[in-house]
Amino acid sequence: MARKFKTSYQEDLALFQNLWVKAWLAILVALLMLCPQVLSRYQLSILNEMGIAAIGALGLNLLTGYTGQISLGHGAFVAIGAYTSALLTGRLDVPFWVSLPLSGLMAAGLGMIVGIPSLRLKGLYLALGTLAFGFIVEYILFHWGLTQGDMGMAVKRISLFHFTVRTEEQFFYLIVVFAVLAAIVAKNIARSKIGRAFVAIRDRDIAAEAMGISLAKYKVMAFAISSFYAGIAGCLTAHYQKWIVPGSFDIALSIAYIAMIILGGLGSILGSILGAILITGIPHGIVYLSDFFKQHFPSLSGLIVDFKLGIFGLIIVLTLLFEPHGLFGIYRRVKVYWKTWPYKY
Amino acid sequence: MEKIFEIVLQGLSMGSIYALLALGFVLIFKSTGVINFAQGELSMVGAFICYTFATVLHFPYLLAFLMTLVLGAVLGAVVDVVFFRRMVGEHLFSTIMVTVGLASILTCIAGILWGHDVYAIRSPFTDRTVRLGNIVLSQGGLYTIGVSILLLGLFVFFFNRSLLGIAMRGTAEDSDTAGLMGINVKKIHMAAWSIGALVAAVAGVFLAELSFVRLTMSHTGVKAMAAAILGGMQSIGGAIIGGAIIGVVESFAANYLSGTEMGNFHFGDIKDVAAFAIMIVVLMIRPHGIFGKEKVERL
Repeated sequence: MARKFKTSYQEDLALFQNLWVKAWLAILVALLMLCPQVLSRYQLSILNEMGIAAIGALGLNLLTGYTGQISLGHGAFVAIGAYTSALLTGRLDVPFWVSLPLSGLMAAGLGMIVGIPSLRLKGLYLALGTLAFGFIVEYILFHWGLTQGDMGMAVKRISLFHFTVRTEEQFFYLIVVFAVLAAIVAKNIARSKIGRAFVAIRDRDIAAEAMGISLAKYKVMAFAISSFYAGIAGCLTAHYQKWIVPGSFDIALSIAYIAMIILGGLGSILGSILGAILITGIPHGIVYLSDFFKQHFPSLSGLIVDFKLGIFGLIIVLTLLFEPHGLFGIYRRVKVYWKTWPYKY
Repeated sequence: MEKIFEIVLQGLSMGSIYALLALGFVLIFKSTGVINFAQGELSMVGAFICYTFATVLHFPYLLAFLMTLVLGAVLGAVVDVVFFRRMVGEHLFSTIMVTVGLASILTCIAGILWGHDVYAIRSPFTDRTVRLGNIVLSQGGLYTIGVSILLLGLFVFFFNRSLLGIAMRGTAEDSDTAGLMGINVKKIHMAAWSIGALVAAVAGVFLAELSFVRLTMSHTGVKAMAAAILGGMQSIGGAIIGGAIIGVVESFAANYLSGTEMGNFHFGDIKDVAAFAIMIVVLMIRPHGIFGKEKVERL
């Protein structure tokens, strides 16, 4: 048999399914710790972006992949996190270790407000509501004197108890710690009672309610958790980029996050991380390729921005048409294939 | 009083563009069950096609307009065959996301073909005005209002009296049963996409008349969705009325709120988010719109 049957709830709820998973994760962490020694600054900066994106994608996957609530406004929550932390540390001199959770909570609070209509709205209506929310947040950031509109805001460096995070390397360790924490928390949410309630709501909300799951509680909770993740990702983005403008948190960012979770695999922790890595990596790949082609076709260089969005769109469409379970689905299929080879089942 | 009348008419001419877009949106939704987030992009491509024929290739305006209609319909059919034929019966989430992806792809292709510059189409209505007492109105705006009223009548007739229209409604209700009744579901879906894209292209050309041709004009599509939501997704008349309401509200916001300040918040182009604000309020209070019916779900 390809799949090992689980015979107890303890097994099904285990954080790590078996010894192999633990071993591979240990190797992965060791490799990550080695990265700063081996990679150049540019390569590290790509990894940093990927780490931040992974945090945001984990949040969106908890909402969309697990609970089945469509959100086209994830970029707006990232923006809220970024601006909250920028304003708190910049204007009020709040230390980073306070502003980080506060920016998450701020996003979570607004996320709950957006989530309340989700009790009445489904599918399409929710998608439109979150889309409109995204546009309104962008509008407010552009027109509010406090956020300085499209001039942008400078953001302070992160300082933790007299230690200031300056280099890519230090950022890398910081972001890895947060990304790993985010993944573990997400996994714990997904495998416990809350996650099971989320999945039940996704699969059939009316049936879930009939089984005694409080729709109101869990839907709003999903929105809050997801926006909390987005807020944390936004806060890290702000301090990492040191300069934020409203334009960088537009609908394109929300679409990029959706592309991540669709490509990676809806309803999968590993998938969110894989998707974040690939979708963040693709623009850098395009830049690399276009540098190569520029020598032969100089007119191409202006088209990179167009290509980026188009390729994200193409990835979303192709994944949904041909591999709806995303990379995680491919991974699972390949695993089953090798386990059962030469038999099909 | 005259000023208010002028603002209302301005709003109506913009609103009828929203209404046209919302009409295409409702049309596709009614017959295929797909919520097309790429409606604005389809209209943007339509405007660019018209611009290419009328201004770049110097075709007569009417001919360019007709070519736009034909190519718009073909584009809709292609979109259906390439993307949505495989998606029949898929989850709502997947279909919505495919249209979102499609929107990005269309923007990318249009960006590569036509670039990010701003163009204008010269048409017979350009710079012509009509005087009504003291009120000056652009001819283009009046034509837009006229055409949307005409199309509204046409579509109401089409859906209630013609065989194809009734078949479309049946397919929307339950595509499996419609197929069993001898309706060619694939053909119906293709027809719906063609007509929807055609209407979007018309809206794009009229929008170009009131402003310019550029990539970002596709944002109008989201406002059109607000119009469709306001009217109730299922209703053609609702789409028209929703579009009109949103156009008029925008027009008032642009005239009375823009440029004002409150504390250190200056309203600026408030007109661009007025539609979204209305949409959120409608979604909270009456999610099924003015004319929509609440769907009873069975387990």
